[in-house]
Amino acid sequence: MTEMVVAEPLWKIRLKLWVRSFKTGWELFKEKKLALFGLGVIIFFAIFGLLYPLYPMIMRNLFWKDDPFGYQTFMPYDPIIGFDPDIVSHPSPPSLRHPLGTDPLGRDILSMIMYSTPREFVLGITAALITVIIGTIIGASAAYYGGVIDTFFMRLADIVMLFPSLALLMVLSAFMELTLFRLALIMGILAGFGSITLVLKAQALTVKVRPFIDAAKSTGASDAYIIFRHIIPNILPLSFLYMMFNVTGAIFTEAVLSFLGLANIRMSWGVIIQMAESSGYLMGASIGTYWWLWLPAGVCITLLCSSFYFLGRGLEEIVNPRLRKR
Amino acid sequence: MLLSVRDLRMYYRTKMGYVKAVDGINFDLDQGESLGIVGESGCGKTSISMTILRLLPDNAEFKTGSVLFDTGNGPVDLVKLPESEMRKYRWRGISMIFQAAMNSLNPVYRVGDQIIEAIQNHFPDMPLDKAREKVAELFTLVGLDPSRMDQYPHQYSGGMKQRAVIAMALACDPKVIIADEPTTALDVIVQDRILKEIRKIQKKLNMAMIYISHDIAVIAEVSDKIAVMYAGKFVELADAVTVFKRPMHPYTYGLMHAFPSTVGEKTELVTIPGEPPNLLNPPKGCRFAPRCPKADSVCLDVDPKYREVEKNHFVACHHPVQPKEVVRFYAD
Amino acid sequence: MLKFLGKRVLQIVILLFIYVTVVYWLIEAMPGSFVDQYLLNPKLTPEIRENLKRQFGFDKPAHIRYLIYMKNFLTLDLGISFSYFPTKVTTIIAERLPRTVFLFVTSTLVSYVLGYSLGKRAAWKRSGILDKTTTFVGIVFWTIFLPLLAIFNIWLFGVILKILPLNQFIDPNLWKTAPLSAQTIFIRLLLTALVFLIVFLIALLISNRLKTIPAKKTMLYTSSITTIVVSIVIWILSGYSIYAWDIIKHMVLPVLTLTLYSFAGSMLVMRDTMLDVIREDYITTAKAKGLPDNVVRDKHAARNALLPLVTNFVISLGFTVGGGIITETMFSWPGIGRAYLEALNTQDTPLLIGLLVFTGIFVLIAHLVADVLYAVLDPRIRY
Repeated sequence: MTEMVVAEPLWKIRLKLWVRSFKTGWELFKEKKLALFGLGVIIFFAIFGLLYPLYPMIMRNLFWKDDPFGYQTFMPYDPIIGFDPDIVSHPSPPSLRHPLGTDPLGRDILSMIMYSTPREFVLGITAALITVIIGTIIGASAAYYGGVIDTFFMRLADIVMLFPSLALLMVLSAFMELTLFRLALIMGILAGFGSITLVLKAQALTVKVRPFIDAAKSTGASDAYIIFRHIIPNILPLSFLYMMFNVTGAIFTEAVLSFLGLANIRMSWGVIIQMAESSGYLMGASIGTYWWLWLPAGVCITLLCSSFYFLGRGLEEIVNPRLRKR
Repeated sequence: MLLSVRDLRMYYRTKMGYVKAVDGINFDLDQGESLGIVGESGCGKTSISMTILRLLPDNAEFKTGSVLFDTGNGPVDLVKLPESEMRKYRWRGISMIFQAAMNSLNPVYRVGDQIIEAIQNHFPDMPLDKAREKVAELFTLVGLDPSRMDQYPHQYSGGMKQRAVIAMALACDPKVIIADEPTTALDVIVQDRILKEIRKIQKKLNMAMIYISHDIAVIAEVSDKIAVMYAGKFVELADAVTVFKRPMHPYTYGLMHAFPSTVGEKTELVTIPGEPPNLLNPPKGCRFAPRCPKADSVCLDVDPKYREVEKNHFVACHHPVQPKEVVRFYAD
Repeated sequence: MLKFLGKRVLQIVILLFIYVTVVYWLIEAMPGSFVDQYLLNPKLTPEIRENLKRQFGFDKPAHIRYLIYMKNFLTLDLGISFSYFPTKVTTIIAERLPRTVFLFVTSTLVSYVLGYSLGKRAAWKRSGILDKTTTFVGIVFWTIFLPLLAIFNIWLFGVILKILPLNQFIDPNLWKTAPLSAQTIFIRLLLTALVFLIVFLIALLISNRLKTIPAKKTMLYTSSITTIVVSIVIWILSGYSIYAWDIIKHMVLPVLTLTLYSFAGSMLVMRDTMLDVIREDYITTAKAKGLPDNVVRDKHAARNALLPLVTNFVISLGFTVGGGIITETMFSWPGIGRAYLEALNTQDTPLLIGLLVFTGIFVLIAHLVADVLYAVLDPRIRY
C-alpha cells in the first residue's frame, strides 16, 4: 500500500507547532492567578495609556464648552504646559474638573499620568529588549565557543556587576542629557553585559551538550547557524522570562532617576513625584495633605513594576521545570 | 498475623481524573516472613508501601481498606490513626529501605547522626553514648566500619550508602521492613552481596520483610512468598516455589518465562506483547485481558475475583493456567 | 581550601584594579570639575589660582594623576575631598560608614530572618493561604517604588500615628546640651550591637554541639536575653540612654521601610529552593523515620535550602553601600549614599571615586566571605 503524503509547506507545520505549544503554555499559565492578575494590569495600563488623546476632548466638552478661547490659551489638560486659570490656588485637590487634582504649576495630574503611561512601556520594553538580545547572544556564544570568549565575557560581567547600577547611571547623567530613549539604551546595554549573561550561559551550556548540536555539527552547519538556529531558540523562553524582570527594573530605575532629578525626561511618573518633592510638598507634616501629588503616580509605578514581575514569575513556573508543581 | 492489608485502595487525583495506583490489595504477613511484590514499573508497587506508611503526596486520595498492624497488644488499623499516633509506628513498627538509597541520606548531616536522630526520636530517654553504641553495632551488622559513622554521605561509595540505609532501617528494631527496590542502583555483584546480607539479618532478627522490585530474580532470591502485581492489583500470590513452578495467572506465566534460566530444562523465552494499561482508565474487565492470549469475552467484561484456588495460592483470573499447559503469546 | 582562597584573592585583586581604573577614568572624564567652578570666581588672583590648582593636583596631566592615585590607593589612601577640604576621603567614609552599615545590616538581617521563615512555610504548604498571601504581598513590596513606601511610612507613623520622629538622623533640640557627639554615641550603639551579634553567634555554635532541642533553645534564649538586659542596664547607668534612644527612634522608620522593601527577595529564593529540596528522597526518609512535621521542615528541608540564601545574604550586604542612595535621601540619613549624592552634585571628584572604589572593595570582600561560608555550610564542597 502506498502512503499518501500530503505536501504541507514547512511554515505551516511550524505555525501549527507554535500554536500547539502556545496552547499548552496557556493552559499552564491560566492556573497562575497572580500572573493573570499581572497580565490584566499590564493590559489595563496599555489601554489607559492609549486612551490619553480622548481625555482632553472629553473634559473640554464637559467643562470648557462655554470658554473655548480659555481652553485654547491655557490648554488645561496639556501634561507639560497646561494651566487651569479658573482655579484660585494650585495644587488643587481632586475635583470633577481634575479627577486627580493639579500640581503646583497648575497641570492636571491625571493627564500627566496618562501621557506618561505609553512612555513607561516604551522605556521598559526597549531597555529589556536590548538587555535580552545582548545577554542571549553573549550567553549562547560564550557557552558554544568557551575558551577566551567565555572568559572575557564572564570577567566583563563580573566587573559590570561590581558597579552599583544606580550610582553609575547617576554619574552618566553628568555626561549627557539622559533622554528617555538614551536612558533606555544605556540601561539596556549595562544590564545586558551583567548577570543575565551568566544565567543564560548556564542554560545554553545544557543545550550545547544535547545530541542535536553534534548532529548539526556533523552535517557541516556553521557556528553562527548552530548558535542562531539551535542554541538560541532553546534558551529563548528563559530570555523572555528575564525580559519581564528587566522591564520592572528599567521602569523602577527611570522613576528613581527622575525622582532624584537626574534624568532629562520632560514627563514621567517619577517626574511627577519629583515635582512634589522639589516644591516642598513632601516635607514634614504636610506630607499627607497633598497626597494626590505623589500617591497616584507612585501607585502607578508600583503597579506596573509588580505586574511585570508577577507575569515573569508566572512564566518562570512554566519555563523552569523545577518550580513546576509535580 | 503481624500485618494484614485488606482491600486497600488509593488513587491519585490528576487533572484528567483518578489514577488508580492501588486498587484493592489484600495480603497477610507473619513474623519472620518475607513477601516479594513484583511488577512492571508504574504498576503501583511503590504506592503500596507509601500508603501503608501514609507518606503520600497531597494529590493522593485514600479510598478504602484497612492496614491492621499487630502492636503486641492487639492490632491497630494504621489507616484510621491520627497523624501524631501514626508517627510512632513509622520506623519503630514499620521502617523502610528506599528506592533511591543514594539520595535517602541528607547530604549535610553525618551518617551516624542521621541514624541517631531516628533512634532518639523513638527512644527519647536513650543517652547519646548508648545510641552511638547502637549505631556502631548496626554498622558492624551490615558490614560497615563503625568508625565511618562520623563521615558525611558524600564520603561513602554507593554500596556503603546502601548498607548505611539498611543500618538506618534497622535502627529502631522494627517489626516490618519494606525494601523498595533496595539494590536497583548498584552493580550486580554488590547487589547480590547486599541481598544476601539483608536476608541473613532478616533471618537472624526474625523480622518480617516486604521486598518490592521489578526484577523477578531479586525477588526470587529473598522472598518466602511472592505477589505479582499488575496495573494496581495483585494477580497472583503464593509461596515462592509455587509461583515459579506452577504459575496460574497468564501474566505470571509470561513473566516466569521471560527470563532465561541457567538451571533446569530449557524452555522457550517469552515476551508479553503490548503495553500495561493506563491507570487513568483501566479496562473494564480483567486488566490483563487486552494482552492475554487466553482472554475471551468474559475476561473483557467481568473483572475476575481475587480468590484462593488452592491453599495459600491466590489468583485473579477467569481461566487459570493448568499444570503442563503451554501458553503462547503472540507478538504484535 | 587555601589554594582556592589564594586563587580567589588574586582574582579579586585583579578585578579590583580594573574596577578602580575604570572608575577613575570615568569620573575623570566627567565634564566640568570642582576646581573649574571654583576658578570662575573673578576675585581670585592668578597666583592664588595656580596655588589652588597645585593644591588640588590639577597642574599635572591626567595620566600622572592616575598613577599618583593608584600609588596612593595601594597605601589605602583615597585622596583629599574637595568639598570638605582638607578632610581625607577615608575619614569621611569612616565617619559615614557606620551609619549606613548599621542601618542596612539591621534591615538586611531582619528581612532575611523574615524571608527565611516565611519562605520555608510557604513552600512547605505550597499553594496554601500563607503561600499565596506572602507571595503577593512580598512581590508588591519588592517592586514598590521605594520613595513611595518611604513617604507612606513617614506619613503613617510620623504624621498620623505620631509615634515616630519624621525624617532625620537625630533630634537637634535634644543634642544641643549633649555631653558627647552623636557620632560617639552612635559608635557605642554599634559596638553594643556587635557584642550582641558575637554573643549570639557563639551561643549558636555552642548550641549546635548540644544534643537535645530544649537544651539548644535554652542556650540561645538565655544568652541572648542576658546580653540584651545587661547592655540596656549599662546604657541606663551610663546616663546616655536618652541619646541612644533618640538615635534608635530615628532608625526605626528607615529600617522598617528597607525591611518591607527587601524581605521578598530572600523569601522567594528560600521558597523556590525549598520546593526543590522537598522533592528529595531524604525528605521522604525523614518523614518515614517518624519525625514530627516541623522537624522535617526545619532540620532537613530548610537546612539544605539555606545554602543559596546565605550566599545571597552576604552578597546583598555587599550592595548595601551602593543601595543606600534612595533610602538615605528620603530619611535624611547622613550615610554613604547621601555622601555620594552630595559629591555628585558638588563634583567632588576624589570623594566620588573614593566612594565608588570603597563600594567595590566591600562587594568583593562580601563575595569572598560568601565563598568561604558556602564551604563551611555544605560538607560536600571542598575546594
